[in-house]
Parts: sequence; C-alpha cells; structure tokens
Amino acid sequence: MHVIILSWEYPPRVVGRLAEHVRELATQLVKNKVMTYVVTYHDFLTGFSEEANGVKIFRVTNPVRTHIGVLTWVLTLNQEVERATANIYYQVDKKVDLIDACDWHFIPAAVTLKKALDIPFVYSVESLEEHRSPRMDSAFNMAIKSIEWMGFYEAKKVCTTSEWMRDEIVRIYKVPSNKIEVVALNTNRSINDLLNLYKAVAGGANCK
Amino acid sequence: MSRELSVMMLTWEFPPRVIGGISPHVYSLSRSLVKNGAKAYVITCDFPGAPAHEVIDGVEVYRVDSYKNPAPDFATWVYLMNMNMQREAAAIVNNLGEIDVFHAHDWLVATADIGLKHVFRRPLLATMHSTEVGRRDGIHSDYERMIHETEAWLTYEAWRVICCSGYMVSHVQWAFGLPQDKLVMVPNGVDTEPYENAEKQNLSMFRRRFALPEEKIVLFVGRLVYEKGAHVLVNAVPKVLEKVNAKFVIVGNGYMQEQLSNLVNGIGLGHKVLFTGFVDDETLVKLQKCADVSVVPSLFEPFGIVALEAMAAKRPVVVSDAGGLSEIVDHDITGVKVYPNNPDSLAWGITKVLLDENYANWIKNNAYRKVQEKYNWDKIAKQTKAVYENVLNEYSRSFWA
Repeated sequence: MHVIILSWEYPPRVVGRLAEHVRELATQLVKNKVMTYVVTYHDFLTGFSEEANGVKIFRVTNPVRTHIGVLTWVLTLNQEVERATANIYYQVDKKVDLIDACDWHFIPAAVTLKKALDIPFVYSVESLEEHRSPRMDSAFNMAIKSIEWMGFYEAKKVCTTSEWMRDEIVRIYKVPSNKIEVVALNTNRSINDLLNLYKAVAGGANCK
Repeated sequence: MSRELSVMMLTWEFPPRVIGGISPHVYSLSRSLVKNGAKAYVITCDFPGAPAHEVIDGVEVYRVDSYKNPAPDFATWVYLMNMNMQREAAAIVNNLGEIDVFHAHDWLVATADIGLKHVFRRPLLATMHSTEVGRRDGIHSDYERMIHETEAWLTYEAWRVICCSGYMVSHVQWAFGLPQDKLVMVPNGVDTEPYENAEKQNLSMFRRRFALPEEKIVLFVGRLVYEKGAHVLVNAVPKVLEKVNAKFVIVGNGYMQEQLSNLVNGIGLGHKVLFTGFVDDETLVKLQKCADVSVVPSLFEPFGIVALEAMAAKRPVVVSDAGGLSEIVDHDITGVKVYPNNPDSLAWGITKVLLDENYANWIKNNAYRKVQEKYNWDKIAKQTKAVYENVLNEYSRSFWA
C-alpha cells in the first residue's frame, strides 16, 4: 500500500503536537509495510529526504514570499503540495492508494488530487477552527471553516482521536457519524485500527 | 496530432460577466480558436442567470460557484475562488481526458492553473493583460507585493507568456525578470461586425440625443480614473472650442467623475460636456459610429482597445503617445499622436482632425485597413494556436510527455 500524508508541520518544523504525532504514525506505518510519504512545509529545507526509519519526506516552500495572513499563505502553498504529491504519484506509476490530509491546511490540494487523479483521501482532524477561535465568526474564520466543511464533504472517511471530537464534528458540521472513525492515540490497537481504516478507503474505483 | 488541439482557458470574467477587458478578449479568442479547428473550454466565475454549463459558438463554458466562501478581502477572495475553480476544472479534465494546454488570463486564476499544470502534467501558458506594479505605479504594501509575487510565480510556471503589445512585453520582462525567449507578442483584436451592422442604420435621431446637429462630437470612452486621462481632455475643452463648435461626450464611470464635472461646471462649459456614465454595448457602438473624433488620452495603457474600436468604427482617433497606443497608431497615417498629459497638444490634435476633412478621411481609412490586416480575431487565433503548437512540440520532447 502507498500512502501520502499531507501535514503542515513535521519535525524539525514543530508548531503544535501534530508534528510528532505524524512522525510516530508514519514510522508505525512503515513498520507495517506501508510505503509512506509525507508532503510537508519547510521554509528552506526543501526537496526530498528519507529518514532512517524509511519514511520518505518531501518538503515544499511557498513561492509567494509576502502575505497578508495565514489564509493567503495556505492557499498559495497548496499548489506546491499538489506539485510534490503529483510527482510522487507519477514516480510510483500512479499506484497511490490514498492521501491522509491532517487538518484543514492542505484540504484544497487533497480535493483537487481526488478530482483529478481519483486518489481518495482521509481527513484526519486534530483540531477545528470552532475550538481554536471560539465564538469568532469574522470572514477570516468563516473562510477556514468553509475549507474544513469541504474536507468533510469530499473525504471518503474522517479520522479523529477521541469520541468527543467525533461528536463535535457531527454537531458542528452535520457529518454522518458513520463517516467518522475514532483511532485513539498510542494504544496497542491504534495502528491496526488505522490500517483497517486505510484498507476501507484505499483504491480509487469509487471515490468520485 | 490525430485529434484537434484542445485548450482549457481559466478566466475570472466571461460574458455575461464583464468587469474589464479580459471578458471580451477571452470570448473572442476562444470562439475564433474554435473556428480555426481547436477545441476550447472556458472555466469562469458564475453570474446571476447564466447557466453552469453551456456551449457558446462552439466553446464549452463552465461557470463555477465563486461566492460561497466568506472572504476578508479581495485577494483572499481570489485565492478561494481559485480553490473552487481548480476543484471543478480537475473533475472536468479528468472526465474529458483530453486537454492539451492550459491557458491562464492574469494572476486572478494563477493558483488554480499552476496546480492543474502539475497535477495533469500539461503545459501552461499565461496572458498577462496587466500587472500590479503597472496598475499601482509601484509596489507600496504587503498586499500589493503578494499580488506582484503571485504574478511573478505565474510567469515562472508558464511555458510562454503572451502579451498584447510590444510595450507590455518589455514591461512584463522588466517587472518579473523573464528571459526574452519566454515572451510572445500576440495583439489584442477587435470585431468589426457590430460596427458594420450599425452602419446600415440611420443614426441621425440617435445622434440628437447627445449633440446638436451643428456640433462635432468628441468622444471619450473609459473608466474615469487618473491613468485614463479624462482630466486632460476636460482641460483641452476650452482650447478646442476656440476653433470648433463641438460637444464632448464622456462615457464611463469612476472615482474622478464628480471632480471632472465640477471642473467643467467651474469653467462654465457644462452645456458642452456630457457625462453619460456606463452605457450598454449597443449604445456604445452607435456612439463610436457617430463620433467625429475619438480621443484616448491615457497616461498608462497596456494595450488601448478603445482606440482600436474607434478605428474599426471608421472614425479618426487622437491618442496620447503612451504604452500600447504608441504601437496601434502611426502618426499622420492611422491617427494622431499627441503628448501624454498635455491639454494643449491634445487640443491641437482634436482641432486638426475636426477642421481638415481630407486629413480625417485619410487617417480613418488607413486605420480601418490596419484593423482588418493586423487586429482581426481570426488572425490572432491562428497566431495563438501556433504558439500552442510550438509549446506542444517542445513538450513532446520533455520527460512529462
């Protein structure tokens, strides 16, 4: 199985707890014979690198250096994520089984790759705009929420780490609860649960 | 190539959505490409009442819901619109499986088209109709720099960059530091058909709505903003009236409108200058046919389509020697060139045309011939198609092919 993980943070770039979580996850996947690629952002450590544990990492930067906020920065960075992901796709003879998009940042890229190349994606939710910016409904926050909404709508499955978050996604975005899988962090069952989820999603045949 | 060449154009405006010059440009270019044996797809923003998908003169037009995401400012709206446009275009291309080239019009569709290029591994071309550094006469804020850098990125990703005038070629080359062989000049065009249709009508009643029979009509068409130079024309009005009885008809809206009409009333010539505001296409064509002289006094002008329209209407033109206008008009042959931002020079040019009928006939006949030879859409479509074919030929030898 070939899996491409999209995450806006990955060590050495650590913003929150997502970076270490994605590294741990990718390492576990490699141990379970999943070919695992990570496409992530770094300002200058760009290009391809491979970790000792076998995780293949592509780091891209933003060609537009000047920005007025995180939203324009994310929306222009997505094209580079698409480029890097498409390069992997063509290099492995189009045998990418699925994309795992962590949080909202690279949802636009995941959606385009699904529509263009029939690669299904899992939307892994670490946090939601509703919780990061409580009771904020400016156009800026609403735009981020609209991208999260598109992620829930277009994803084949949604993955999250707690029952509470699953209920919040159902409450806020009206996502059917059977679309959401809870894969708890760092338990003995975590990796098996995740592999089962990936197996259910893999294959582009009916992702449209 | 066994089947016909297919191009997908992305544009933020396409009729009936008309904001500036890109909309009529893409409309005429795409339908002329179809007439020349290409398959053309246009992906654009939605417009009230316009269908999500339709075929116009053989062009497949898709309109994308572009206002569903809240946006804090115009640039963020553009990037979000690109996200939606890219999503729809990706599905359309995947279903068709036959797009040869992507063609972007301005930075307004840059991010969508850059992503499509890489995801489908097809060549991208870009037409730069204008630049942020040209529009704003420099870069003064992070907001403007962000747009400038998005434009630079588009020209970097494009296989070829098309500009509508030699002036824009050198401007774009300077603005983004591009290699010369990446730039191609393909002129903008004008469709003479509406003017030929207007010629068959008797316009004397129509003319009376704007001027007395004994008044010559001096026509200005353009947004009433500084770079279009309507204020230069207003300052030339008394100088022209010393020699000729004329009515100055000013068509268009803009932030300078109130200032301009105050200026006119202040010198007591309100009865000689008519501000019509924005008018529909049919009225505009008739006005251009009725004008005794059309004036384009721009200070900054990437191309100057209004001058070309006047020439297609077989009316004499007086233009400022600036930007693309300098190339459209040859002085004393296809029009009159005057010094930019100089009311005396402009008044001299207008007076010369209005007082010398033989001269006016000479330049308008030459101008019409030039329009037919150089600025007709059929020829422009052939040139554009040749650019596509060159790119595809180079592409066929790349590792993406």
